[in-house]
Amino acid sequence: MKAAIRVETIKLVRSPVGMIGSLALILGTLALLAGITAALAAGDPALTAKAGIAAALDWGGLLTAAAQIASAGGLLGFGVVLSWIFAREFSDGTITGLFALPITRARIALAKLTVYAAWSVAISVALALGTLVLGLTLGYGWPSPDVWAAFGRQVVLGVLTAVVATPVAWIASIARSLLAAVGGAIALVVIAQVGVLAGAGGWMPLAAPALWAISNGTGADPVQLSLTLALGVILGVLTCTSWARLQLNR
Amino acid sequence: MLDFDDVTVRFPGGAGVEHLTFRVAPGEIVALIGLNGAGKTTLMRLALGMLRPREGTVRVFDRPLTTLPSASWAAVGALIEVPLAYPELTVRENLHIACLLHGADPRRLVLDSLEAWRLQGVADRRFRRLSLGNRQRTGLAAALQHDPDLIVLDEPSNSLDPASVIMLRDQLTRRAEHGAAILVSSHHLDEVARIADRVLLMNAGRLIGELDSTGTDLEHAFFERIRQDDELRAATEGVPL
Repeated sequence: MKAAIRVETIKLVRSPVGMIGSLALILGTLALLAGITAALAAGDPALTAKAGIAAALDWGGLLTAAAQIASAGGLLGFGVVLSWIFAREFSDGTITGLFALPITRARIALAKLTVYAAWSVAISVALALGTLVLGLTLGYGWPSPDVWAAFGRQVVLGVLTAVVATPVAWIASIARSLLAAVGGAIALVVIAQVGVLAGAGGWMPLAAPALWAISNGTGADPVQLSLTLALGVILGVLTCTSWARLQLNR
Repeated sequence: MLDFDDVTVRFPGGAGVEHLTFRVAPGEIVALIGLNGAGKTTLMRLALGMLRPREGTVRVFDRPLTTLPSASWAAVGALIEVPLAYPELTVRENLHIACLLHGADPRRLVLDSLEAWRLQGVADRRFRRLSLGNRQRTGLAAALQHDPDLIVLDEPSNSLDPASVIMLRDQLTRRAEHGAAILVSSHHLDEVARIADRVLLMNAGRLIGELDSTGTDLEHAFFERIRQDDELRAATEGVPL
């Protein structure tokens, strides 16, 4: 298992997809936050009306905007990278080399999920640190205890957003297609947004982490958040099982 | 080392292989020859657990694949269709991860492998930037560097220049002398097939016998056997020629 984790780490770290995905999630989010802040500071009335509580030019507004971006853009970014991690073996044809090894394919799939999880934690922490630097640069002052708590929720939101994306690993494995998996990532974003608009609220596992982070922890309770974790575990098990049973019969 | 006992698998649409029975013993090189679409790759996929037979049993190291401990695969080296190599990694990195995946220690093996397959000049070049021949040599190095006891190679001489074919031939001969069982496929009687102890003929998803590799004009003999089998199937099964 250790060897499989090392191999998957090398592949992600050395790949353009891993690099571009990381930069898009961190620098893309920060650039968007800076742009939104600049537009709000300039008094753009349309944006101010749309931004709602994120329109405030303080830590609260900045972190709310960061959470909103993470819930949609972050989900898409995590989903695309996870799609590639699994689907590339089929599109590159390297799946044939992952048979007849002393490491079972279920463990290889688990190693992929483990490396993805570690990467998502690193991205979430880096994004929170970047947001902290941005807020300090904007002159919001040293964060109060409440703001630090919001930063904690921001990191948890990033990781749970990565968990929300786990269905694409299963889709990539079943469909053996990168496009199908990326399509699945887009579908997750749409389902989460529509679910919130339809009033599913915290009981929608795809949207619960974002609602929780945006509402200062009141929009979803621990039981509802645990449904998101359960979704990740179930899809992780399904993905590993599909790799264990995989046959190259098509 | 590798045994097929009346193995059959069929794909939706009717293609597949049927009633395959043969054995590859330790120290033996067996060549599998057949035209494109004869079922050679399907047979090799069955040997490596990429496909499960509908009927019959595949055994590796005298154990059915269904009960073979995963650790046993550490003694198998295979190259089927696409090398186990990732485009964004260098040749050296690819050989490194191939060692890790086969449960071998990369520290010494990678250097030896680069030298054995004369890949030192491109060791730090990304796989995607290699010529087809160098890609194939990297794939062969990744499949063989952990010194496997059972070797399964699908058309291994594809894209290789004559010098590399000789290199491959020498590698396989030496490994067979040290007791490895080797199965290689080809769609023609190439230089690798000619070093085989036995040549199995495959046509339309079935093994149709062996070819005497000591005879003269082997290509003619090969095509004649294929033609005879096609005619026999046309007469007995109504398969159009």
